[in-house]
Amino acid sequence: MSDVSISNLGQTPSPAPPGLTRRKSRWLNWDRVMRGLARGSGVVIVLMLASLVIVLVVAAAPSMKRFGFGFLTTASWQPNERQVPRLDAHGKAVRDEDGEIVMDTIPPSFGALPMIYGTVVSSVLALVLAAPLSLGAALFLVRIAPRVIVGPISFLIEFLAAIPSLAYGIWGLFVLAPFLRNHVEPAAFHALGGVWGFGWLFYDHEGRRHLLTGLDMLCGGLILGIMIIPIITAISRDILASVPRAQLEGTVALGATWWQSALEMMEFGRSGLFGAIILGLARAAGETMAVTMVIGNNPRIALSVFARAQTMSSLLASKFQEAEDLDRSALLEIALILLVMSLLFNVTARWLVVGKDSHGAAAH
Amino acid sequence: MTGVARRAVSRQLSKLMFGLCILFAAIIVTLLTLITGYLLILGVKHLSVSFFIREPIAQGNPGFPGGMANGLQGTTVLIALASAVGIPLGMLTGIYLAEYDAGSVFVGTIRFIADVLAGVPSIVVGILCYELLVAPFHRNNAWSAALALAFIMVPIIARTTEEMLRLVPNSYREASMGLGATKAHTIFKIVLPAARASIVTGVMLSIARISGETAPLLFTSLGNDSITWNLNDRFPSLTKQIYDYSTQRATPQEQGLAWAGILVLISLIFVLNLGVRYFTRQRK
Amino acid sequence: MFQFLRAAAVILAAGAGMAMGDVSLKGEGATFPKPLYDVWVSKFHEANPDVTIDYQGSGSGGGIKAITNKTVDFAGSDVKMSKREAAEAGDVVYIPACAGAVVAAYNLPGFSGELKLSGPVLADIYLGNITNWNDGKIAALNPGASLPNQAITPVYRSDGSGTNAVFSTYLSTQSDEFSAKVGAGKSVQWPVGQGAQANNGVTTVVKDVSGAIGYIELNYALANDVTMATLENKAGKFVKPSLDSVTAAAAAATEIPANIMNRGGDNAYPIASFTYILVHKDLSYLGDKAKVDALVKFLTWAQTEGQKLAPDHAYPALPDAVTRRAMANIHSLTFNGSPAQQ
Repeated sequence: MSDVSISNLGQTPSPAPPGLTRRKSRWLNWDRVMRGLARGSGVVIVLMLASLVIVLVVAAAPSMKRFGFGFLTTASWQPNERQVPRLDAHGKAVRDEDGEIVMDTIPPSFGALPMIYGTVVSSVLALVLAAPLSLGAALFLVRIAPRVIVGPISFLIEFLAAIPSLAYGIWGLFVLAPFLRNHVEPAAFHALGGVWGFGWLFYDHEGRRHLLTGLDMLCGGLILGIMIIPIITAISRDILASVPRAQLEGTVALGATWWQSALEMMEFGRSGLFGAIILGLARAAGETMAVTMVIGNNPRIALSVFARAQTMSSLLASKFQEAEDLDRSALLEIALILLVMSLLFNVTARWLVVGKDSHGAAAH
Repeated sequence: MTGVARRAVSRQLSKLMFGLCILFAAIIVTLLTLITGYLLILGVKHLSVSFFIREPIAQGNPGFPGGMANGLQGTTVLIALASAVGIPLGMLTGIYLAEYDAGSVFVGTIRFIADVLAGVPSIVVGILCYELLVAPFHRNNAWSAALALAFIMVPIIARTTEEMLRLVPNSYREASMGLGATKAHTIFKIVLPAARASIVTGVMLSIARISGETAPLLFTSLGNDSITWNLNDRFPSLTKQIYDYSTQRATPQEQGLAWAGILVLISLIFVLNLGVRYFTRQRK
Repeated sequence: MFQFLRAAAVILAAGAGMAMGDVSLKGEGATFPKPLYDVWVSKFHEANPDVTIDYQGSGSGGGIKAITNKTVDFAGSDVKMSKREAAEAGDVVYIPACAGAVVAAYNLPGFSGELKLSGPVLADIYLGNITNWNDGKIAALNPGASLPNQAITPVYRSDGSGTNAVFSTYLSTQSDEFSAKVGAGKSVQWPVGQGAQANNGVTTVVKDVSGAIGYIELNYALANDVTMATLENKAGKFVKPSLDSVTAAAAAATEIPANIMNRGGDNAYPIASFTYILVHKDLSYLGDKAKVDALVKFLTWAQTEGQKLAPDHAYPALPDAVTRRAMANIHSLTFNGSPAQQ
C-alpha cells in the first residue's frame, strides 16, 4: 500500500545492518499502531467539526423552533416580557369588569438581523481601510524595499498579527474612542451636519440626533481594520513573492512602468490576493474582544457609522453569561449563524488562495 | 490622447502609486508601532515585582491592589493542559496528512477540515466547550477552558507540522525504508528529527496564540481572583484577569495592574515570535 | 508523550485533593456585594482561622442557579427568584446581607450644584423623549438653576445584571410608557443611548462624555467620586443618595424578601434594594456538622459585626428591624431535623 515506496517495490526487504533498526516486538506491531493512531487523529478532526455543528444546532433548536426563519429578519433583542395595556379600536385602553386596565403580555422576542448587519458592516468597513493599505505594503515589501529591511518589517508585521485582541480593545477604548469623540466626530458634524444629503449620517430615522460618543460602528470598523492589516499583508506578500520572475521580466522588457508591472503581478496572483482579503474578512467577522469594547453594544440597525451597533460576537460576549433558557437558546442560534458565516468565508478563502493544488502555499 | 501623452500620464501614475505604496507601508508600521508603544509604555509604568508574586488584594486591605500571580499561574496551567492534548493530537494529524494515505479523498477532506477549523471564531469554540463541559455539570471549570484552547491549537499545529514534514526530502524516507525500517520507525527516527526545529516553531506559534485568547475563557473557566489548583471550579487566567480589571474595576491602581498585564502578555508573545524567527532562520 | 500523562496525573491529583481539618465554604452570586463579602470573609477568617470562605461573583442569575443545583453552600442575589426559579429551587431562605442603591451619575460641565430629577423624567430621558439638559421638564424640577444647552447621552448596561433589573423596574413603575415600551428585567432592550459593560464601563463613559447620565451602584459611585443626582421619592421630597438615605429606605421592609423601592418615608432614597444571601432551609446538603456550624456562625456574624463594617466600605447597613428578621430566618434553618443554630 502506501507503506511501500518506489525504491523497494518487488524486492524483499534486505537484512538490516545491526544497530539501525529496532527489534520487532512480538506483541505489538508498532507500525500498525502508528498507522491506526494517525488515521484516528484524522477521525478526531472530523469529530471536532461535527461536534461544533451538532452541539450548536441541538442547543439552538428551541430558539429555531420558536422563531423559525423570522429570526434572521427580525430586528429586536428583547429578553424580558413586557406588559402593554390592551387598546381597543379607538386606541383607548380596555378595562375589565373591575375597572382595571387589561394588560397583554408581550413575550421575549429575539432577532438576529441587527447583529448580522453589525457584523457585515463593521467587517466591510474594516476591509475598506485594510485592503488598500495591506496591498500597498505587500507591494512595497516585494517590489520596492531593499532586502535589508524586508526581514525586520516582515517580522514586525507578523508579530503584530499575534498581538491579542484584548490589547487592541484596550487601545481602542482608551485612545481611539476619545479621539473620535473629541476631535473627529465633532469636526465631521461641523463640516457636514448641515449639508444636504448627509442627514442620514447624523440623524436617525426618527429625526433624533445621533450621540457622538466615539464608541460606535466607526470605531469598531477602524479597530477591526487595524487588526486585519497584518494578516492580509503577510498573505499578500507571500502571494506576490511567488509570482514567477519570468512574468515580471516580460513586462519590463515591453517597456511597462513600475505600476503597470505591479498590476501584472497582482493580476497573476489575483485569486490568491482575493483569498487573502476574504481571509481578512473572516477574521474581522469572528473578532470578539476588541469589538465588544468599542462598538457601543446597542442591537439596532442604523445607517450612520456614528450610531452604536452590535456584532454577533460582541452580543455573545456581553450577554451569554447571564442568559437563561430561551434567551440562551437564541444566543446559541446567533453562535450558529456566526459559525456558518465564518465557515463560508474560510472555505471561499481557502479555495482562492490554495486553489486546486491541495498542498500549495498554505494560508495561516 | 496621443501615445506620448498617454505614456507621460502612465509614468506619472506609476510614480504616484510607487509613492503611495511606500506611504501605506509607512502608515502601517507607524500605526502599529504607536499602538504597541502606547501599551508598552503604560505597562512599564505599572510593572512591579508584586505583579508577579502576589494575588489580587481587595480595596481597603493592606497591599492593595496586589498582583496578577493568579492569572500567570492560571494561564500556565491552562496552556499545559491544552498542550497535553493539543500537541500530540495536532502532531499526529500533521504526520497523518504528510505521510499516510497520500492522495486519498479522506486525507484531502481532513486537510480541508483542519484549515476550516483554524478559522472558527474562538468565542464559538468557547461556547461549544461550555455546552460540553460546563452546562451538564452546572459548574465552570478549567477542563472546559483547556479543551477550548486545545481545540484552537490542533488545526494550527496539524497544518504547520504537515508543511514542515513535506519539506523533508523524500530521499530520507526512501533510504530508511530501503534499509528495512518500518514506516513508523522512519517517521519517528528520521523524518521528524529532520523537521524538528520547524515543528517546534509551529508549537510555539500556537502557544503564543492561545496565551492571548480571552473569548473562549469567558464562559468556560470564568476567571478566579486567587491562585487555585482545583481544576473543577472557576479557574484564573491572565487574559480574563486583564479584561476584568480594565473594564470592571475603577481604581487607577487596579487599572494599572491591567496595563502591566498587557505588557507581560505582549512580551511573552514577542519572545515566542522571536524564537520562531530564530528557528526558521536556521533552516535557511 | 508519557511525561505529559504523568504531569497531567499530578495536576489531577492536586486538583482533587483539598486541605484536611479546616472547614471550607463556597458561595457565588451577585457581584454588587462582592467587595463587602470579601472584607467580611477576611475579617471572619481572622476571628475563625479554621474557616475559609470563598465567594465568587458570577451574577445573581448564576447564584440562583448554583444554589438550586446545590453546587455551592450559599448564594448571593440582588433579586428575588421568579416563581419558576423558586419552584425549582425548593425551600430557600433569604437572609438580607446589606442594602444597596442605584444612583444616577451624570456629567454636566457648566452646571454646579445639586441636580434634581424625578422618576418620570428619568424614564423620559431613557426613552429618548427628553434629549437636552435644558428641557422644560428638567428645568421645572430645578427652579432657578441655569441648565446648559447640552445633548443628553443616556448610558445603560449592555450586560445582564441585577443593577439593570433594579433600575428598569424602577423606571417601569414611574412611567407607563417605559413599562410598555421597554419593561423590566436583568436584560432589556433600551431604545436610545450608549451601552457599556459593568458598573465600571458605565462610570468610564459617564466620566468621559459631556452630558452623559448613567445608572450605577451607590458604593461604586462613592468610591469613584462621581456626581450623583438627587431623586424625588414617594413622599415628594428630593433625597440625595447616601448610606443614611438608603438605610432609611430599608426601614420600610415589612417582610423578607422585601420591596423597598420607592416606599419609604421622607428621608428614603427611592431606588433602593436589598441584597440577600440564599441558603436552603434544610442545611443537610452541606454534608457535615462542622460546615453547618461554620455557615450559621458566619451568617450570624454578618448580622452583628458585619453590619458594623459595612458603612466603612460604602455599603448601607441594615436597620435593626431587618436584622431582627434576618436573625429569625437564621434561627429557622435546620440540619438533620433539628435547628441548625445552637
